[in-house]
Amino acid sequence: MHIMEGYLSPQWCIVWWIIALPCILFGIYRLKQITNADREALPLLGVTGGFIFFLSSLKLPTPFGSSSHPTGTGLSAICFGPWITSIVCAIVLLFQALFLAHGGLSTLGANTVSMGIIGPFVGYTIYRLLKNTSISIYTTVFIVTAFADVSTYIVTSFQLALGAVQPATGDIVSSFIWYLGIFAFAQIPIAIVEGIVLALVFKYIVQLKPDILIRLHIFSEETINTAKRDADGS
Amino acid sequence: MQMARKYNLEILVVAAIIVFGILFLYTSLIMKNAEFAGTDDIAAAKISGSPNASLQTIKPLIPQWVPPSTEIESILFGLQAAIGGMIIGGAFGYWIGQKKKV
Repeated sequence: MHIMEGYLSPQWCIVWWIIALPCILFGIYRLKQITNADREALPLLGVTGGFIFFLSSLKLPTPFGSSSHPTGTGLSAICFGPWITSIVCAIVLLFQALFLAHGGLSTLGANTVSMGIIGPFVGYTIYRLLKNTSISIYTTVFIVTAFADVSTYIVTSFQLALGAVQPATGDIVSSFIWYLGIFAFAQIPIAIVEGIVLALVFKYIVQLKPDILIRLHIFSEETINTAKRDADGS
Repeated sequence: MQMARKYNLEILVVAAIIVFGILFLYTSLIMKNAEFAGTDDIAAAKISGSPNASLQTIKPLIPQWVPPSTEIESILFGLQAAIGGMIIGGAFGYWIGQKKKV
């Protein structure tokens, strides 16, 4: 989903930066609030952020003869919400722009909006909808992760259709459909695998540190205890 | 049965990786010319009108350092994965240490 340097018109680069910056600043404020209230949230932030670093570095082949990256943002969206996730994504995207030329600096705002804000926001909304239902938390993590991933690429398609320096096809709608064909459909199998892997990671967090998930009100004590019994096979 | 239930997510991950691998091999077989190029590069090539996005037919707004070879790019991607892996390992190690103390 990296929009390369120079591929978005300057006006659209500014628009996406204006949207991204307040979200990142609010994320810093929320992060300070959470870590001041509970220092034990830091290792969880490390795990969720570490997976964004790790998974977004992997280039996986797709059944369409192309390759793409997972985003790894679903777990962070569940545990810390989209605002804090936007900080981690901005750091990852800055690393990739500076050292890998994957994504640009002028397009960093647009890439942060797709991967760090809207993708996780979609995931977070699904998590809130499923949180108090009878659906298993591992299924919830799977669904949230997969949707956060695919929606990131849908947003990228939209951003390119709106503001690419040269349109892919005649008009915005047909350009959007063209980009969607390249990005979003190829992403579906990767999103499914990412969802299963992060559900497994969440299982290990439930087994090792269930109390932090309860203290941060990510899931209720009863739900976590049920998930822990499932994970332990008891 | 209880054992299988305990490890059902692990089994699912292994199954997903196997299916993913088979899909990749099948695609390689039926699409003889498949280069598995990055979707970013495919989109960039379409925008720039050039089949090779690395030709940089579009002028960058902010000058950017580009890895001089694909090997160096791979090393830097590996570094990124290693940073993530170290943080994850550190946090899980901390939790395991805490659990052992109790």
